[in-house]
Amino acid sequence: MRFQIALLILLSSLSLHASDDKAMNELFRKYEQVMVDKKVELVDEVFTQKFLRDSGGKEEFISKVKELPNPKTKTAKPKMTWTKGVKNQMYLAKLKADEKSAHSESAEFIVISENGKLKIDGTAGDAE
Amino acid sequence: MKKLLLLILLISPSVHATDCYHCTLWNFNDVLPNVEIPEWPVEFIKVEKEDYPRNDKASYCTRPPEMIDTVVIHHSETSEKATPQEINTIHLNRGTTSDPWYMIAYSFVINSSYPGNKQPEAKLTEGRPLNVVGAHAGSGAFVTMDEDQQKMWDEGKIVCGKTGGPFAVDLKQVKNGKIKANVTTIGVVVSGNYAAFGRFNPNGYSWSKPRHPTQSTLEMAAKMSCQLQKKYPKIKYIKWHSLYNATTCPGNLRLHIEKIKKIAKGYGCDFK
Repeated sequence: MRFQIALLILLSSLSLHASDDKAMNELFRKYEQVMVDKKVELVDEVFTQKFLRDSGGKEEFISKVKELPNPKTKTAKPKMTWTKGVKNQMYLAKLKADEKSAHSESAEFIVISENGKLKIDGTAGDAE
Repeated sequence: MKKLLLLILLISPSVHATDCYHCTLWNFNDVLPNVEIPEWPVEFIKVEKEDYPRNDKASYCTRPPEMIDTVVIHHSETSEKATPQEINTIHLNRGTTSDPWYMIAYSFVINSSYPGNKQPEAKLTEGRPLNVVGAHAGSGAFVTMDEDQQKMWDEGKIVCGKTGGPFAVDLKQVKNGKIKANVTTIGVVVSGNYAAFGRFNPNGYSWSKPRHPTQSTLEMAAKMSCQLQKKYPKIKYIKWHSLYNATTCPGNLRLHIEKIKKIAKGYGCDFK
C-alpha cells in the first residue's frame, strides 16, 4: 500500500513537472518572438501586468522592443533552464546564450502564474 | 521645634542626594533598553533594519567584520521599486531543496528613484549582517588575502554551518592560497536596472535614453561606504560586480564609482 502511494505521488509530481515544463518552454518561445521577431502583440501573454507597469507601461515597453537594433546575422536560440523556487513562491528560469556565441550573456527570470498562466514578472541580478 | 526643623533641613539634602544617586542608577538601567544606542561611530546616513525571514536549512559562513576590505556595487536588475524584503523572497527561492539560500545575498540595499522620478523614497537598508558572508561577487571568484586576513583564516575565524548545528572551517573557502571574494567583501545593491534593454535584459533602459544614477543615489553609496570605513578602517576599496564575474552588473553604475569615492572623500574617507 505504502509503495503504491509513493508511486502515485511520484507519478503525479512527474506529470506536474511535465506540464510546467511545457508551459515554460511555450512561454520562452513567445518571449523570443517578442524580443527577437518583435511580435509585440504577444506582450500581454508573456509579461505580467505588474512587470509592464514597472517598465513604464505597455506602450513604453513596446517602444523599447521596436527600437532594438536588428541582429546582422541570425542568432542562435538561447538555452532555457528552470527550477521551481525553493519556497514555491515562483519559478526561476535562466536564459543563457549559446556557448559558441561571442558574448556569454545570461539572465535570470522570475516567472509567476497570473490568471492561471505562467508569465514573466521580472528579472533578478546574478549574485551568488 | 526650631532645632528639629533645622535638623530636617540639614539632613534632607544628603537624603535627597543619596536618593537621587540610586534613582539615577535605577532610571538609567530601566530606560536603557528603550534608548537608541548609536551603532555607528559616525552616522552620515540612517541605516534601516528589516526582520528578514531566513532559511534555517541553509548553510552559511560567518566571519569577523574586520576581515572585510572591499565594498562591491551591484544593481538588482529588478524594478527600482523592489524592496529589500522582495529581494529576500527572490533569494530564498534560489538554490535547491538540498542546498537552499540562507537569506538576502547583499549586506546593504539602496532604494533610490531613477532620474526624473519621485518614487521610491530614498532609503538605505541593512541586508545580511556584516558577520555573515554574502553571496554576491560570484562563488567562483577568489582573491588574495593580506597578512591580517590570512591570520584570521589561519586562526579559524571563518566558519560555516547551519543554524543550530556545529560551525567549522570549510576548506572550500580557499583555493590555491586565495579566499572566496565573498568572504572579504560586502555586496551593496542599488535597486533598479542600469543596463540597456535587450534579449537578456527586458527590464533595462531604452537604447535612446541611457539611465544613470542620480546624485542622491551616489551620495547614499558614498555616505554608507564612508560610514563603514569609519567603523572598519580596513575597508579601503570600492569595486563593482563585473570585476569579479562575467556579468553586465552593475550596468552604468560602474561609470560612477570614481564619483562615489570622490564624494566619500568629502566626508573624510579615502577609497581606492
